[in-house]
Amino acid sequence: MKSLIAALVFSLAASSVSADAFEEHDFILNCAGCHQVSGSGSATVPSLHNMAELVSKSGARAYFIRVPGVAHAPLSSERLAALMNWVLRRFTGKAPTLRYTAKEVSELRKSPFLDPFAARAVVVGSD
Amino acid sequence: MSRLDGWFEGVTRESARRLSRRSWIARLGAVLVGSAAVPLLPVARAAERAASPDGIAGPEGDPSRCEYWRHCAIDGFLCTCCGGSHTACPPGTEMSPVTWIGTCRNPKDGKDYIISYNDCCGKTICGRCLCNRNEGERPLYHWYRNNDINWCGGAKLQTYSCSTALVVKVAKEPQPEK
Repeated sequence: MKSLIAALVFSLAASSVSADAFEEHDFILNCAGCHQVSGSGSATVPSLHNMAELVSKSGARAYFIRVPGVAHAPLSSERLAALMNWVLRRFTGKAPTLRYTAKEVSELRKSPFLDPFAARAVVVGSD
Repeated sequence: MSRLDGWFEGVTRESARRLSRRSWIARLGAVLVGSAAVPLLPVARAAERAASPDGIAGPEGDPSRCEYWRHCAIDGFLCTCCGGSHTACPPGTEMSPVTWIGTCRNPKDGKDYIISYNDCCGKTICGRCLCNRNEGERPLYHWYRNNDINWCGGAKLQTYSCSTALVVKVAKEPQPEK
Protein backbone atom coordinates (compact mmCIF):
# COMPACT_ATOMS: atom_id res chain seq x y z
CA MET A 1 0.00 0.00 0.00
CA LYS A 2 2.80 2.36 0.97
CA SER A 3 4.60 1.80 -2.31
CA LEU A 4 1.33 2.38 -4.20
CA ILE A 5 0.84 5.75 -2.49
CA ALA A 6 4.48 6.65 -3.13
CA ALA A 7 4.05 5.77 -6.83
CA LEU A 8 0.88 7.88 -7.02
CA VAL A 9 2.54 10.88 -5.38
CA PHE A 10 5.56 10.53 -7.68
CA SER A 11 3.44 10.34 -10.84
CA LEU A 12 1.43 13.39 -9.75
CA ALA A 13 4.62 15.37 -9.11
CA ALA A 14 6.10 14.24 -12.42
CA SER A 15 3.01 15.23 -14.41
CA SER A 16 2.89 18.70 -12.90
CA VAL A 17 6.40 19.62 -14.04
CA SER A 18 6.35 18.15 -17.56
CA ALA A 19 6.18 20.42 -20.60
CA ASP A 20 2.78 18.92 -21.45
CA ALA A 21 1.20 21.13 -18.84
CA PHE A 22 1.91 24.21 -20.97
CA GLU A 23 0.39 23.09 -24.26
CA GLU A 24 -3.00 24.75 -23.99
CA HIS A 25 -1.47 27.80 -22.27
CA ASP A 26 1.07 28.19 -25.10
CA PHE A 27 -1.64 27.68 -27.71
CA ILE A 28 -3.85 30.45 -26.31
CA LEU A 29 -0.97 32.87 -25.80
CA ASN A 30 0.83 32.29 -29.11
CA CYS A 31 -1.72 30.98 -31.64
CA ALA A 32 -5.26 31.84 -30.54
CA GLY A 33 -4.89 35.60 -30.98
CA CYS A 34 -5.23 35.16 -34.75
CA HIS A 35 -6.41 31.56 -35.24
CA GLN A 36 -8.93 31.95 -32.37
CA VAL A 37 -9.29 29.56 -29.43
CA SER A 38 -11.55 27.36 -31.59
CA GLY A 39 -8.86 27.27 -34.30
CA SER A 40 -11.37 28.34 -36.93
CA GLY A 41 -9.42 31.46 -38.02
CA SER A 42 -11.12 34.37 -39.80
CA ALA A 43 -11.51 35.91 -43.24
CA THR A 44 -7.79 36.70 -43.28
CA VAL A 45 -6.37 33.89 -41.08
CA PRO A 46 -6.38 30.22 -42.19
CA SER A 47 -8.37 27.70 -40.15
CA LEU A 48 -6.29 25.14 -38.22
CA HIS A 49 -8.91 22.52 -39.05
CA ASN A 50 -7.40 22.54 -42.57
CA MET A 51 -4.43 20.64 -41.08
CA ALA A 52 -6.49 17.45 -41.34
CA GLU A 53 -6.36 17.47 -45.16
CA LEU A 54 -2.58 18.14 -45.20
CA VAL A 55 -1.34 15.84 -42.45
CA SER A 56 -1.01 12.71 -44.61
CA LYS A 57 1.00 14.52 -47.35
CA SER A 58 4.73 13.89 -47.50
CA GLY A 59 5.85 17.50 -47.02
CA ALA A 60 3.37 18.35 -44.27
CA ARG A 61 5.57 17.47 -41.32
CA ALA A 62 8.23 20.06 -42.20
CA TYR A 63 5.63 22.54 -43.50
CA PHE A 64 3.81 22.75 -40.15
CA ILE A 65 7.02 23.85 -38.40
CA ARG A 66 8.37 26.14 -41.15
CA VAL A 67 5.26 28.36 -41.48
CA PRO A 68 6.34 31.75 -40.08
CA GLY A 69 3.91 31.82 -37.12
CA VAL A 70 5.28 28.53 -35.80
CA ALA A 71 8.97 29.01 -36.68
CA HIS A 72 9.07 32.50 -35.11
CA ALA A 73 6.96 31.66 -32.04
CA PRO A 74 8.69 32.97 -28.88
CA LEU A 75 8.97 29.47 -27.39
CA SER A 76 11.83 27.06 -26.77
CA SER A 77 12.03 24.16 -29.21
CA GLU A 78 11.02 21.78 -26.38
CA ARG A 79 7.83 23.70 -25.68
CA LEU A 80 7.18 24.24 -29.41
CA ALA A 81 7.50 20.50 -30.14
CA ALA A 82 5.08 19.65 -27.32
CA LEU A 83 2.69 22.38 -28.52
CA MET A 84 2.72 21.14 -32.13
CA ASN A 85 2.08 17.53 -31.06
CA TRP A 86 -0.89 18.86 -29.10
CA VAL A 87 -2.12 21.03 -32.00
CA LEU A 88 -1.91 18.08 -34.43
CA ARG A 89 -3.87 15.83 -32.08
CA ARG A 90 -6.51 18.49 -31.54
CA PHE A 91 -7.06 19.62 -35.13
CA THR A 92 -6.51 16.41 -37.08
CA GLY A 93 -8.38 14.20 -34.63
CA LYS A 94 -5.47 11.85 -33.84
CA ALA A 95 -2.04 12.11 -32.27
CA PRO A 96 0.90 12.07 -34.72
CA THR A 97 2.33 8.56 -35.05
CA LEU A 98 5.82 10.03 -34.90
CA ARG A 99 5.92 12.86 -32.38
CA TYR A 100 7.92 16.02 -33.04
CA THR A 101 11.09 16.21 -30.97
CA ALA A 102 12.85 19.37 -29.80
CA LYS A 103 15.87 18.54 -31.99
CA GLU A 104 13.77 18.14 -35.14
CA VAL A 105 11.83 21.35 -34.44
CA SER A 106 14.98 23.37 -33.76
CA GLU A 107 16.41 22.30 -37.14
CA LEU A 108 13.23 22.95 -39.14
CA ARG A 109 12.48 26.36 -37.61
CA LYS A 110 15.86 27.67 -38.79
CA SER A 111 14.45 28.01 -42.34
CA PRO A 112 10.99 29.60 -42.14
CA PHE A 113 9.05 29.99 -45.41
CA LEU A 114 9.24 33.37 -47.13
CA ASP A 115 6.05 32.52 -49.04
CA PRO A 116 3.96 30.09 -46.94
CA PHE A 117 1.08 30.07 -49.44
CA ALA A 118 3.33 28.86 -52.26
CA ALA A 119 4.84 26.27 -49.88
CA ARG A 120 1.34 25.08 -49.00
CA ALA A 121 0.48 24.59 -52.67
CA VAL A 122 3.57 22.37 -53.03
CA VAL A 123 2.48 20.25 -50.02
CA VAL A 124 -1.10 19.95 -51.35
CA GLY A 125 0.30 18.80 -54.73
CA SER A 126 2.56 16.14 -53.15
CA ASP A 127 1.36 12.67 -52.18
CA MET B 1 -18.22 24.95 46.92
CA SER B 2 -21.22 26.29 48.76
CA ARG B 3 -19.98 29.83 48.06
CA LEU B 4 -19.95 29.12 44.35
CA ASP B 5 -23.45 27.62 44.61
CA GLY B 6 -24.61 30.66 46.47
CA TRP B 7 -23.10 33.08 43.95
CA PHE B 8 -24.58 31.23 40.98
CA GLU B 9 -28.00 31.06 42.66
CA GLY B 10 -27.85 34.79 43.27
CA VAL B 11 -26.97 35.57 39.67
CA THR B 12 -29.72 33.28 38.36
CA ARG B 13 -32.40 34.72 40.64
CA GLU B 14 -31.34 38.29 39.82
CA SER B 15 -31.46 37.71 36.06
CA ALA B 16 -34.81 35.90 36.36
CA ARG B 17 -36.23 38.95 38.16
CA ARG B 18 -34.86 41.50 35.61
CA LEU B 19 -34.97 39.76 32.23
CA SER B 20 -37.91 38.32 30.32
CA ARG B 21 -37.43 34.79 29.04
CA ARG B 22 -37.31 35.98 25.43
CA SER B 23 -35.11 39.02 25.88
CA TRP B 24 -32.21 37.20 24.12
CA ILE B 25 -34.27 37.25 20.89
CA ALA B 26 -34.45 41.04 21.07
CA ARG B 27 -30.70 41.27 21.69
CA LEU B 28 -29.86 38.85 18.89
CA GLY B 29 -32.07 40.88 16.54
CA ALA B 30 -30.31 44.09 17.52
CA VAL B 31 -26.90 42.53 16.88
CA LEU B 32 -27.97 41.22 13.43
CA VAL B 33 -29.51 44.50 12.28
CA GLY B 34 -26.67 46.52 13.80
CA SER B 35 -23.90 44.53 12.10
CA ALA B 36 -25.75 44.74 8.76
CA ALA B 37 -25.98 48.52 9.13
CA VAL B 38 -22.26 49.09 9.78
CA PRO B 39 -21.30 49.28 6.06
CA LEU B 40 -24.00 51.95 5.57
CA LEU B 41 -22.23 54.32 7.94
CA PRO B 42 -20.46 57.22 6.20
CA VAL B 43 -17.18 56.27 7.86
CA ALA B 44 -17.12 52.86 6.14
CA ARG B 45 -17.98 54.34 2.74
CA ALA B 46 -15.25 56.96 3.02
CA ALA B 47 -12.69 54.22 3.73
CA GLU B 48 -13.70 52.34 0.55
CA ARG B 49 -13.34 55.42 -1.61
CA ALA B 50 -9.93 56.16 -0.19
CA ALA B 51 -8.72 52.70 -1.27
CA SER B 52 -9.92 52.83 -4.87
CA PRO B 53 -7.66 55.31 -6.74
CA ASP B 54 -5.46 52.42 -7.81
CA GLY B 55 -8.44 51.00 -9.71
CA ILE B 56 -8.07 47.57 -8.18
CA ALA B 57 -9.75 47.85 -4.76
CA GLY B 58 -12.71 45.61 -4.06
CA PRO B 59 -13.26 42.13 -5.38
CA GLU B 60 -13.70 43.25 -9.00
CA GLY B 61 -11.75 46.50 -9.09
CA ASP B 62 -12.85 49.39 -11.27
CA PRO B 63 -12.81 48.44 -14.99
CA SER B 64 -13.45 52.05 -16.00
CA ARG B 65 -9.96 53.03 -14.81
CA CYS B 66 -6.73 52.61 -16.75
CA GLU B 67 -5.05 51.27 -13.58
CA TYR B 68 -7.43 48.28 -13.44
CA TRP B 69 -5.33 45.09 -13.39
CA ARG B 70 -6.71 43.64 -16.64
CA HIS B 71 -5.51 46.69 -18.57
CA CYS B 72 -1.80 45.92 -17.97
CA ALA B 73 -0.93 45.67 -21.67
CA ILE B 74 -3.68 47.73 -23.28
CA ASP B 75 -3.11 50.52 -25.80
CA GLY B 76 -6.33 52.24 -26.76
CA PHE B 77 -9.63 53.71 -25.59
CA LEU B 78 -11.50 51.84 -22.85
CA CYS B 79 -14.87 50.64 -24.18
CA THR B 80 -16.31 51.26 -20.68
CA CYS B 81 -16.12 54.99 -21.50
CA CYS B 82 -17.49 54.55 -25.03
CA GLY B 83 -20.93 53.02 -24.46
CA GLY B 84 -19.73 49.44 -23.95
CA SER B 85 -17.94 47.72 -21.06
CA HIS B 86 -14.59 46.00 -20.46
CA THR B 87 -16.14 42.80 -21.87
CA ALA B 88 -18.65 44.10 -24.46
CA CYS B 89 -18.44 46.37 -27.50
CA PRO B 90 -20.52 49.57 -27.79
CA PRO B 91 -23.70 49.23 -29.88
CA GLY B 92 -23.01 49.46 -33.61
CA THR B 93 -19.46 48.11 -33.40
CA GLU B 94 -18.16 44.60 -34.09
CA MET B 95 -15.67 42.75 -31.88
CA SER B 96 -12.62 41.81 -33.93
CA PRO B 97 -11.97 38.05 -33.95
CA VAL B 98 -8.24 38.73 -34.35
CA THR B 99 -6.74 39.96 -31.11
CA TRP B 100 -3.65 40.75 -29.09
CA ILE B 101 -3.22 38.33 -26.16
CA GLY B 102 -1.04 38.68 -23.08
CA THR B 103 -1.04 37.99 -19.36
CA CYS B 104 -1.81 40.26 -16.39
CA ARG B 105 -1.51 39.55 -12.66
CA ASN B 106 -4.62 39.99 -10.55
CA PRO B 107 -3.39 41.63 -7.32
CA LYS B 108 -6.34 40.20 -5.40
CA ASP B 109 -5.37 36.52 -5.74
CA GLY B 110 -1.78 36.97 -7.04
CA LYS B 111 -2.49 34.76 -10.09
CA ASP B 112 -1.64 35.53 -13.73
CA TYR B 113 -4.50 35.48 -16.20
CA ILE B 114 -4.49 35.28 -20.00
CA ILE B 115 -6.14 38.47 -21.25
CA SER B 116 -7.47 38.98 -24.78
CA TYR B 117 -7.63 42.63 -25.88
CA ASN B 118 -10.38 42.38 -28.49
CA ASP B 119 -10.81 45.66 -30.36
CA CYS B 120 -14.26 46.99 -31.21
CA CYS B 121 -14.46 48.07 -34.84
CA GLY B 122 -16.72 49.73 -37.36
CA LYS B 123 -17.42 53.15 -35.83
CA THR B 124 -15.20 56.17 -35.61
CA ILE B 125 -12.46 56.36 -32.94
CA CYS B 126 -13.98 56.76 -29.46
CA GLY B 127 -11.44 59.26 -28.08
CA ARG B 128 -12.37 58.86 -24.39
CA CYS B 129 -10.33 57.20 -21.60
CA LEU B 130 -7.07 56.65 -23.50
CA CYS B 131 -5.10 53.95 -21.69
CA ASN B 132 -1.58 53.16 -22.85
CA ARG B 133 0.25 50.78 -20.49
CA ASN B 134 1.94 48.32 -22.86
CA GLU B 135 3.46 45.98 -20.22
CA GLY B 136 5.00 43.03 -22.08
CA GLU B 137 4.59 44.63 -25.49
CA ARG B 138 7.29 43.89 -28.09
CA PRO B 139 8.52 45.89 -31.09
CA LEU B 140 6.70 45.69 -34.41
CA TYR B 141 8.90 42.87 -35.76
CA HIS B 142 7.23 40.68 -33.10
CA TRP B 143 3.89 41.62 -34.58
CA TYR B 144 1.86 39.14 -32.50
CA ARG B 145 3.02 40.93 -29.32
CA ASN B 146 2.76 44.45 -30.71
CA ASN B 147 -0.34 46.49 -30.04
CA ASP B 148 0.37 49.47 -32.30
CA ILE B 149 -0.93 47.56 -35.30
CA ASN B 150 -4.64 47.72 -36.04
CA TRP B 151 -6.19 44.54 -34.63
CA CYS B 152 -9.43 45.42 -36.47
CA GLY B 153 -7.85 43.68 -39.49
CA GLY B 154 -10.06 40.63 -38.91
CA ALA B 155 -13.33 42.55 -38.65
CA LYS B 156 -15.70 43.56 -41.48
CA LEU B 157 -14.81 47.24 -41.12
CA GLN B 158 -11.27 48.14 -40.11
CA THR B 159 -12.06 51.41 -38.31
CA TYR B 160 -10.84 51.16 -34.70
CA SER B 161 -13.24 52.40 -32.02
CA CYS B 162 -12.16 51.09 -28.56
CA SER B 163 -10.67 48.09 -26.72
CA THR B 164 -12.03 45.44 -24.33
CA ALA B 165 -10.08 43.20 -21.92
CA LEU B 166 -11.47 39.66 -21.71
CA VAL B 167 -10.17 37.00 -19.31
CA VAL B 168 -9.55 33.81 -21.33
CA LYS B 169 -8.33 31.61 -18.47
CA VAL B 170 -5.77 31.31 -15.68
CA ALA B 171 -2.21 31.41 -17.07
CA LYS B 172 0.37 28.73 -16.21
CA GLU B 173 3.05 31.41 -16.01
CA PRO B 174 3.42 35.11 -16.82
CA GLN B 175 4.26 35.69 -20.47
CA PRO B 176 8.01 35.35 -21.03
CA GLU B 177 8.45 38.96 -22.18
CA LYS B 178 7.54 40.28 -18.73
